[in-house]
Amino acid sequence: MSGDALEPPRWRRLMVNRFVLVPAAIAVVISLWNIYVVTHDHGVVIGRVVDDAGRPVGDATVVLWVLNFTTYVEKARATTAPDGRFQLVNAESHNLQLIAEKPGVGRSARVPVRLYFRAEDVELEQPLVLSAGG
Amino acid sequence: MHRPARWPIHLTLLAVSAVMLVPFYWVLKTSVTGENIFAYPPSLIPKAPHPFYYVDAWYYIPFARYFLNSVAVSAIAVVANLLFNALAGYALIRPFPGRASVVLLFLSCMMVPFQATIIPAYLITGRLGLLDSYWGLALPQCSTIVCIFVFKASFEAVPRSLIDAARIDGLSEWRIIWKIMLPLAKAAVATNVILAFIWSWNNFLWPLIVTRSADMQTLPLGLARFLSYQEDTTGALYAFCVMVLAPGILLFLLAQQEFIRGLTSGATKG
Repeated sequence: MSGDALEPPRWRRLMVNRFVLVPAAIAVVISLWNIYVVTHDHGVVIGRVVDDAGRPVGDATVVLWVLNFTTYVEKARATTAPDGRFQLVNAESHNLQLIAEKPGVGRSARVPVRLYFRAEDVELEQPLVLSAGG
Repeated sequence: MHRPARWPIHLTLLAVSAVMLVPFYWVLKTSVTGENIFAYPPSLIPKAPHPFYYVDAWYYIPFARYFLNSVAVSAIAVVANLLFNALAGYALIRPFPGRASVVLLFLSCMMVPFQATIIPAYLITGRLGLLDSYWGLALPQCSTIVCIFVFKASFEAVPRSLIDAARIDGLSEWRIIWKIMLPLAKAAVATNVILAFIWSWNNFLWPLIVTRSADMQTLPLGLARFLSYQEDTTGALYAFCVMVLAPGILLFLLAQQEFIRGLTSGATKG
């Protein structure tokens, strides 16, 4: 068997090397990430509001603040359902803050929410907790 | 035969490498923690790292646009460097009257700083109608004397008989360069690619002067703009620095073997 027979074909030598494979791998990762972003960028924020004792609070007002360059501005408001759940839309930022309030029950601390991309759909893991001293 | 222990050398090299890498590590650490770099005592291990400063850096300025501009300008500079430097390097190994003077002229030109030639460079670019364009941004970086000498050193290592044989076989000078010289000078090509890319990628002064619209700015200008907008964002600033540095480091890591070989190819000749 000659040495030439063992040599890989030209296309393989041109394509299978680190100068092609590494950029190709990066391009694949970027493409996948962009597909994920496009399918998850509706600006929906879902969460829950509870009181000090952990009971859901209905009819509470949740205010969404978004970062406007250097300061936060109010963007949207929502009212919680009887089970304490709320849904906000149009959260077109990557840096949010949420605050919940209900007269007679109390107010929550302002909760920062950092997102991986602008208008990422997110469901809060921790509920907003209303407290009289908040 | 007793061989001397090599571990002291490796230990020393490791220590020196660590010292060299500490600034990079610190930039990386600050980019994921946002810690004050003047905090004392400094913490070596990042506390509660997160990637959100990278998200901030991406959105505070039009990063994608600046990145595209830098890529376009660097690509032009790399291709032009390969073309012009290879031609110039080949010319300098061919005998012609006044070759020594040309080499001397090139060497003396290396002593003239770019800042001294920036006004004529600007006027020429303006006359060509290339201000505020990718071609104008890349123009002064389309050939560098250091890289010409890298090609010259590499081409000189090619046996003269090989060039003569190619010429006897009927190859033109162009084809000798592309078919014979460049395939034998892969290290010089890699060195040219890396140096042209990094110099173009990091260039600040020329893009600052030649660009007029914000859309044509490159990443180093974006960094300056970022600093002027955001004065109190240590984490985002360092994240931005990492994002600017990453392509150059990646390119170096990909081609480091050829790069080092290219830089040392002329060192062993008599």
